[in-house]
Amino acid sequence: MDPSSLQSPELQNFLNQQKERAMINEMVGKLTSACWDKCITSTPGSKFSSSESNCLSNCAQRYMEMSLMIVKRFQSMQ
Amino acid sequence: MDSFSSPPPHSGASSQFSTNDIMDQVKTQLEQAYAEQFLETVRDKCFDKCITKPGSSLSGSEGSCISRCVDRYIEATGIISKALFSQR
Repeated sequence: MDPSSLQSPELQNFLNQQKERAMINEMVGKLTSACWDKCITSTPGSKFSSSESNCLSNCAQRYMEMSLMIVKRFQSMQ
Repeated sequence: MDSFSSPPPHSGASSQFSTNDIMDQVKTQLEQAYAEQFLETVRDKCFDKCITKPGSSLSGSEGSCISRCVDRYIEATGIISKALFSQR
């Protein structure tokens, strides 16, 4: 392997992109799991009810809102 | 590892990796890891939902629960990403 190719800006850029993708992937995976447990309480049907799909999207958005609140809470303690 | 500092011992030019080869490799391996991880999660979730009282074999109703569960979990993943990234 040519060691200089590891330093190429193209590769660094690619790796940064993949890092970001991995973070997003992890976040979506974690939230899907948590929200599935909260929102899908009965046996899965052939279609989500509107309350189930609303619950899923509310769940994700409230999680983000809560994260912000928690950060602010910590900041106010300093 | 001296294969990094010295030229590859055999097979000449074809074993020289280009930046593109490295990126393709990384991409393929990440895809595979993501798929495996997703599969594992779906397995756990659907086992919880559908196999509530394990019998001596998978019943027909457990089987259909599993296919619906897989479909819904994939759909739920889509709903969550939409809620996170295309809101407001």
